[in-house]
Amino acid sequence: MQDLTTDVLVVGAGPAGSMTAKWAAMSGAKVLMIEKRQEIGSPVRCGEGMSKSWLADVGIKPGKWINLEVEGARIYSPREQCLEINEKNAGNEVGYVVERDGFDKQLAIDAANAGAEVMLKTAATDVIRENGAIVGVKAKRFGEPFTIRAPITIAADGFESQVGRWAGLPTNLMLKDMDTCLQYRMTNVDSDERYCDFYLGSCAPGGYVWIFPKGNGLANVGIGVQVSQIKTTAEAKSYLDKWIAKHPAYAKGKTIDIVGGGVSISPPVKQSVTDGLMIVGDAARMIDPLTGGGIANGCIAGKICGQVAAEAVATRNLSATFLAKYDKAWRGLFEEKLYRNWLAKEKLTSLPDDVFDKVVDALQGVKLEKLSVHNILKAVHSRYPEITKEFEAFL
Amino acid sequence: MVATVVDKRSLHIESSGQLCIYCGACVGICPLNCIYLDETRITFDETTCTRCNICVKACPVGAIEIG
Repeated sequence: MQDLTTDVLVVGAGPAGSMTAKWAAMSGAKVLMIEKRQEIGSPVRCGEGMSKSWLADVGIKPGKWINLEVEGARIYSPREQCLEINEKNAGNEVGYVVERDGFDKQLAIDAANAGAEVMLKTAATDVIRENGAIVGVKAKRFGEPFTIRAPITIAADGFESQVGRWAGLPTNLMLKDMDTCLQYRMTNVDSDERYCDFYLGSCAPGGYVWIFPKGNGLANVGIGVQVSQIKTTAEAKSYLDKWIAKHPAYAKGKTIDIVGGGVSISPPVKQSVTDGLMIVGDAARMIDPLTGGGIANGCIAGKICGQVAAEAVATRNLSATFLAKYDKAWRGLFEEKLYRNWLAKEKLTSLPDDVFDKVVDALQGVKLEKLSVHNILKAVHSRYPEITKEFEAFL
Repeated sequence: MVATVVDKRSLHIESSGQLCIYCGACVGICPLNCIYLDETRITFDETTCTRCNICVKACPVGAIEIG
């Protein structure tokens, strides 16, 4: 395998990587995006629910990857009192349940059509460092080692996040800042296709059980459990199996796909750039620590990352000082929210079932105009200020 | 002379596909960044691994054992 050179090297062809590649290419840079898998987007590692209001801002058009549009969410307390938030009734946009593999492929196609090269079966194995700066990666393609040199390297390698760590950016997680997740795609279930459902409490310690409907009796039934609350092996699976057994609408379902993965529920990385390298998406711990959603933030940051990467190459400003422009821009957009939701997560993961029950009861009848974490937290604050005390300054 | 304590317990990742679903949860949580995931193969650096047990907890399906 011949050694390669490019302007911008993107490691990882998930949503954040593809968005970075697309926007860097559109901004005039020569871009190469590498992906270790043979198929972009597969196997899926996602619950497949996403909000939709942000899509147009980053240039993503609705496509065949949309399964269905939901009208709102239902949050269930441990004794399964339901808090229903129907946004469509309030005239708001809500969200989609999607085919993540189709979504990821569409974004990669957009990147390729914008001019980026895409290379599959190509895994980064280490970074190359010269005079303290990252100048590319060592890689393997179909098992054959070679090097890719680039003035700017983007670590978009997802939750696993090795490239950033090789480059010296600390992305390590504490056990309380990760949920381990398992999901079954089930057919023959009775789910309400208007809603995404969330079940809180000891059925999923430090996380929740989710039901995301995909239409025609198909739904994603999944769980996230905080790793610090896990005592034995395979606990995520046993919690999920237990939950399904207790719910006849799902116990009769048949699993046609098993999805697993890790989700960070941490604050974002303290440092997202170093000389010659930027880190983006799940790798930069941009996942919302309360909802576990990471696609929107990854794509929004990816757009900025691509633009800054192209500008860095064009002006030969490859230092961390220049790349800080990217760091500053994404933090300006959503760092405060991530930090607030992390503080809320720290509190909520410690609450016993009876407090969850009380909170959900108290929220019955509260008019939530818009389905957002912020609005729910504000409503909790108005009834139970002691729960929100640690982060009331953010509300 | 300073004695070096070596943890001789072995870490076993069942990655033939009988248990492992190649989700990468262990890779992301490993504090020493010593687990690697190819598409359908997981390997780890025996000499760097301290048998800290964190990946065992992070695995959603119980494919990792230390014993």
